[in-house]
Amino acid sequence: MDWMESTNMAVKTLTSNKLRTGLTMLGMIIGNASVIAMIGIGQGAQRLASEQFESLGPNVLFVTPGSQGARQRTTFLPRNLVWDDAKAIANEVPSVSGVAPQRQSQIAMTYGGKNRTTLVMGTTPSYLTVRDFDVAKGRFINDVDLERNTRVAILGADVATQFFEDKDPIGERIRIRNTSFEVVGVLQAKGSFLGSNQDDVVYVPLTTTATLLTGRTSPFGLDLTFISISAIDEANIPAAEFQITNLLRRRHKITNEDDFTVQSQKDILRIVGTITGGLTALLAAIAAVSLLVGGIGIMNIMLVSVSERTQEIGLRKAIGASEQDILTQFIIEAVMLSAAGGILGTGVGIAGILLVAAFSPLQAVVSPVAITLAVTVSGTIGLVFGVVPARQAARLDPIVALRSA
Amino acid sequence: MSTIVKLESITKVYGIGDIIVNALAGIELSVDAGEYCAIMGTSGSGKSTMMNIIGCLDRPTQGRYYLDGIEVDTLPDNDLARIRNQKLGFVFQQFHLLSQLTALENVMLPMIYAGVPPQERRDRAREALIRVGLEQRLENKPTQLSGGQQQRVAIARAIVNRPVLLLADEPTGALDSTTTDEILDIFGELNASGMTVVMVTHEAEVARRTRRVIWFKDGRVLEANMAPQDVGLVAAG
Ligand SMILES: Nc1ncnc2c1ncn2[C@@H]1O[C@H](COP(=O)(O)OP(=O)(O)OP(=O)(O)O)[C@@H](O)[C@H]1O
Ligand SMILES: [Mg+2]
Repeated sequence: MDWMESTNMAVKTLTSNKLRTGLTMLGMIIGNASVIAMIGIGQGAQRLASEQFESLGPNVLFVTPGSQGARQRTTFLPRNLVWDDAKAIANEVPSVSGVAPQRQSQIAMTYGGKNRTTLVMGTTPSYLTVRDFDVAKGRFINDVDLERNTRVAILGADVATQFFEDKDPIGERIRIRNTSFEVVGVLQAKGSFLGSNQDDVVYVPLTTTATLLTGRTSPFGLDLTFISISAIDEANIPAAEFQITNLLRRRHKITNEDDFTVQSQKDILRIVGTITGGLTALLAAIAAVSLLVGGIGIMNIMLVSVSERTQEIGLRKAIGASEQDILTQFIIEAVMLSAAGGILGTGVGIAGILLVAAFSPLQAVVSPVAITLAVTVSGTIGLVFGVVPARQAARLDPIVALRSA
Repeated sequence: MSTIVKLESITKVYGIGDIIVNALAGIELSVDAGEYCAIMGTSGSGKSTMMNIIGCLDRPTQGRYYLDGIEVDTLPDNDLARIRNQKLGFVFQQFHLLSQLTALENVMLPMIYAGVPPQERRDRAREALIRVGLEQRLENKPTQLSGGQQQRVAIARAIVNRPVLLLADEPTGALDSTTTDEILDIFGELNASGMTVVMVTHEAEVARRTRRVIWFKDGRVLEANMAPQDVGLVAAG
């Protein structure tokens, strides 16, 4: 008997008991749908994270105080990064095109009757180009502001709408920790970054934060939360990383372990990639388990089916089916069940991905690799888990099988 | 006239734990082409056991079995499957039709295993069903057929591969007397057209319509050549 005939026979059996066929496929459908959806969502998260880091600005590097090792030893108090470090980087590192020292903290502020606590960021004029922001209205911090500790504030897009709605904020005064600041500019909206809203920020001159708001300087100078730096171009990122590290080591008189960390956007992307890649793998593993469970479900139902169809098997043998014929028939049934479940599950998975994409910023990806993998794997699972019941069927003694009433 | 079935010193021993059952205790029997035999005997005397061996569904413990001139007791399973498909036709008491298939499809089944091309399969199945008087019921499923009609489908299925021997184990055991008569008419016609038929039955009326009765007792052939009209006399035993 050839494969066509066996397939016809399997189709006939499977369509003659649609409810059972459907229920048997359910495990496979769920398994495949979760594989497709999980991998899609994982890859979507990966893409989202990458896009967000790319939105930080072109060729950006970050210097943060403390090193990986130092942070773990609490007795070690890292020397703070200070403004002079930032100035030195700007003046002495040739592969750098802009340096934006940043000092930030959450501070309460009021306008009219409204209160809110918002991230106040002290920085310098270069922040705009380094971090790729644009001014929507008015102006940003300038050198005069830095020199004179002026009390001016530039609002992130969301702060502006929260406080002023449709009113023009320029020239208005807001109180930040009981000090009055004049609003001189509003930035263009940039969206959120890894869940934190980049438009819910108030910018003030770096010098003003130190003197008026946080009031704290280290013995080494005006201390910073971190420094954002842009390299001249992508090719210069490794050079910039190297030169900045050397410069800071010299300035901080480091003999063994660094008390600062230099990371490029690429470094961070790589870390994020590892994390989200691991996440995707984890999701895929969970989904793969459900595929396996689906396969075991098929084996279960097939075993029940073999004992229910004992008489049919006996009859087929009596009229001339060989063991091989019976084996083929049952294996084809199992493979068709699981492959059909795989295809249906893929459809459900894609629908899930489209749904997630429609209702969240996560642009989940329909991955052709995942689909091919899921359908092949489920077909194989059907084959593997179909073998046991099929062998049991093929080995039935026709006399015993025919006698069972 | 050629010999279709030749059994030489056939024994069949079943062991259930410590108990040993000699289901067949040395059977000598031959059936020639064109014969119409009934096998009778008390319950447990070994009739079905012998039918299973003749039908190549089972192997004897000892002895030789020649079917249509071929010694089959030594053949591997795959060859026995082919012999069942090509040379033998079975009719069972419980019909054993596949419920998800129509009458026509049930009759086509043995030809699928024989590798007959689809169109020829359909034609021959229809032909066989016409022969048993079921041309009106080709597309019906077994549940839509009466017991007698189901047994006709089973007979059509048994003869569709043109076997040399038609075996029937109590084919009328599940039927009423009118239907039994109709089914026996079909067996009679098949035999008249040259088919060798061996049938197990408990009913004297059924046996009387055959042309030779073989009487079984305790795994042995008690009478190998009884005249059908004599059956009523010993039937009580
Ligand atoms: N698979 C088996 N295992 C053990 N003993 C068996 C088996 N099959 C049959 N027997 C025994 O072999 C003997 C013959 O059984 P068989 O079925 O051939 O009788 P039978 O003549 O067909 O009886 P009946 O008229 O009731 O159908 C019986 O004693 C039965 O119990
Ligand atoms: Mg019997």
